[in-house]
Amino acid sequence: MRLVASRRAAGSAGGPAPIPPPARARLALALAAGKAASTSSRVLRFGGGTSFPGRLARRIDPGLLRKVADASGARKVIVTGSNGKTTTCRMLATLAQAGGLKVAQNRSGSNLLQGVVSVAVREANLRGRMDAQMLLLEVDEATVRLVTPELAADALVITNIFRDQLDRFGELYTMAGGLAAVIESLPASATVVLNADDPLVASLAPEAAARRLYYGIRAAGTGTQVPEHAADTIRCVHCQSDLSYRAVYLSHLGDYSCPECGSARPRLDVAVTAIQPTPDAGPEIKIETPTGILPLQLPLAGMHNVYNAAAAIAAATALKLPRPQDPQHAERAMAGLRPAFGRMEQIQAGDRQVVLSFVKNPTAYNATLREVLRRPGGKHVLAAHSNTDIDGEDFSWLWDVDIEQLVPQLASLVISGTRAEEVALRFKYAGAHTEMMRVHPSRAAALDAALEGTPPGESLYILAGYTPMREFRGIMQRRGWVPPSWRE
Amino acid sequence: MTSTPLTVRICHLYPRLFSVAGDRGNLFTLMQRCAWRGIRTSVTEADTGVVPDFAESDLILIHGGQDREMTEAARDLTEKAGPLIDAIEEGAAVLAVCAGYQLLGRYYAPAAGPPLAGLGVLDVVSEGGQVRSIGHVAVECDLGTGGKHVLTGFENHSGRTYLGSSAEPLGRVIAGGGNNGEDGTEGARYKEVYATYLHGPVLPKNPWLADLLIARALERRYHDMGPLATLPDREEAQAQAAARRLARA
Repeated sequence: MRLVASRRAAGSAGGPAPIPPPARARLALALAAGKAASTSSRVLRFGGGTSFPGRLARRIDPGLLRKVADASGARKVIVTGSNGKTTTCRMLATLAQAGGLKVAQNRSGSNLLQGVVSVAVREANLRGRMDAQMLLLEVDEATVRLVTPELAADALVITNIFRDQLDRFGELYTMAGGLAAVIESLPASATVVLNADDPLVASLAPEAAARRLYYGIRAAGTGTQVPEHAADTIRCVHCQSDLSYRAVYLSHLGDYSCPECGSARPRLDVAVTAIQPTPDAGPEIKIETPTGILPLQLPLAGMHNVYNAAAAIAAATALKLPRPQDPQHAERAMAGLRPAFGRMEQIQAGDRQVVLSFVKNPTAYNATLREVLRRPGGKHVLAAHSNTDIDGEDFSWLWDVDIEQLVPQLASLVISGTRAEEVALRFKYAGAHTEMMRVHPSRAAALDAALEGTPPGESLYILAGYTPMREFRGIMQRRGWVPPSWRE
Repeated sequence: MTSTPLTVRICHLYPRLFSVAGDRGNLFTLMQRCAWRGIRTSVTEADTGVVPDFAESDLILIHGGQDREMTEAARDLTEKAGPLIDAIEEGAAVLAVCAGYQLLGRYYAPAAGPPLAGLGVLDVVSEGGQVRSIGHVAVECDLGTGGKHVLTGFENHSGRTYLGSSAEPLGRVIAGGGNNGEDGTEGARYKEVYATYLHGPVLPKNPWLADLLIARALERRYHDMGPLATLPDREEAQAQAAARRLARA
């Protein structure tokens, strides 16, 4: 016990801590086994080998993640929240890399504990050393409480809390309580980067020791006054009164205050102060940081990506990354970003284009729908959901998605997944004609039928849960239309 | 039949407060199934601080929410109690789900905090439990409308509800937890009140219950109503069959 305490004390004093010999042997064995598993599962095409190596290595050495993290001098960043984790991480990694940092991260959306441990397995040598200068982890919001005790994070980014798989996570407030406990466990040397525009996120653990850095949007002429239906936290977290909004930017995210108790959105440390949409790419935005104003042309469309960019810039600010305030540097870094796989990912499928979207909760689905509806012409749609451990069992949230807005523009509709019946019913009650709907339980047959229903030169929009999205992507990968996701 | 178009007057209670699990799908289902039959619908939304004209409401919806929202609804419901109870006694059709169900009972005693008084129109009591019942459910219902029906859906609740001596369950659990995971009952009914733990929403996959509510609402308004026109419920039947498979019923 004392050994551990002194080792951690040495670690927190700055330099990487040495690992004592017996622990080192066990760690080496675990890392070797994990690396071997990673190679073989990739060769055998077990979905890119992203989480199995972690599971195996952790079984051999449960302390692996802690040892590798403590031994490394890398800055450790955790990004969690309901939506935007993957894209925020990609943006932050791009910024860090452009500043010359070597970044280790879990890129394929493997954000449960095994996936996080797999990063350590992949990046560390057999002595448990990583040469990365930043360990950037996207962590599932229900898993983050398992990861933080093993990994002394320098920065924890919380993007938002939306209703997502209540069957897995329980109520929103339960989730918020879990995240608050995580923040409270952080030392004063850490920074928690919070989305100030999310009333629930902004109010998490106000008494915690960690430094707080708030980001949000303060852009005149943007946003509405009334939250959309799928909005979750539209009431004051302190007194339960209805919040009043000066502006709503996305779902329940915005500039809010409580008319009853007077609580309001915290002062923004990093603020998006202008948002100018462009027809083809993402919007041009201005971000105010403590070190200056940063104009950015975002490569990705949608208000959710404005929030992702703000989160990434805020995290870069918190970590004092090299020159995050230099406009050209950040602009160049961001410009190279393509959507993460399955985030309105454009895929050329012969003479048709596929736009692959991963839609997992009402807010993400509605944000995607808004972008789809911005495109001209009738919409060819392939919609799919499956009940799996990742996607959950309960698809009631589909009724909170504004499918009604898509239906008038539908040109063709194919439905798939193990919960195809549920999806079909949702489209039927949104007004889709049942003669137009074709249900193909098999993912390959559904993709073929949907492409057949899409005239050459037009786009097929795939709106799918995580598992069917991966399946569709796998099929398209085998056809040579898209590279494997783990090489991203 | 009257020559003026029939209208089902729907009152949606706490649409903002109780909007946690797609329950507005129940409203969509009622409206579409009316529209497909050429029946009009009007919807009055009543959140906190508003007492709607319950005498003009033929079909009342009250859905589920989290404990925090439920506390506020319970407080507000005392303002609405009188006219709401009158409407129920006079035969207004009511669909109550989860927290809405619990609030129509005598009380709900959460695991932490003081008990919340309910309307007491249902002779049931509910308490917060330690374990959540989460999963697919299938329930067999015999509502005396000629034949048995199966109600399928999803439950996700930590509250446990116990029926009093004068309460009638909505049905018998074939698969899943139901009211309390012990006595095999699910939901409760009284007059034209149909209360259930099945959320998510319950009506699309159970069109028979949607139609029962519509029929009762029309009877309250127009009295001598014939049977509703049947609809081609192919997708509904497939979704219900899939839900039954998931519930392993």
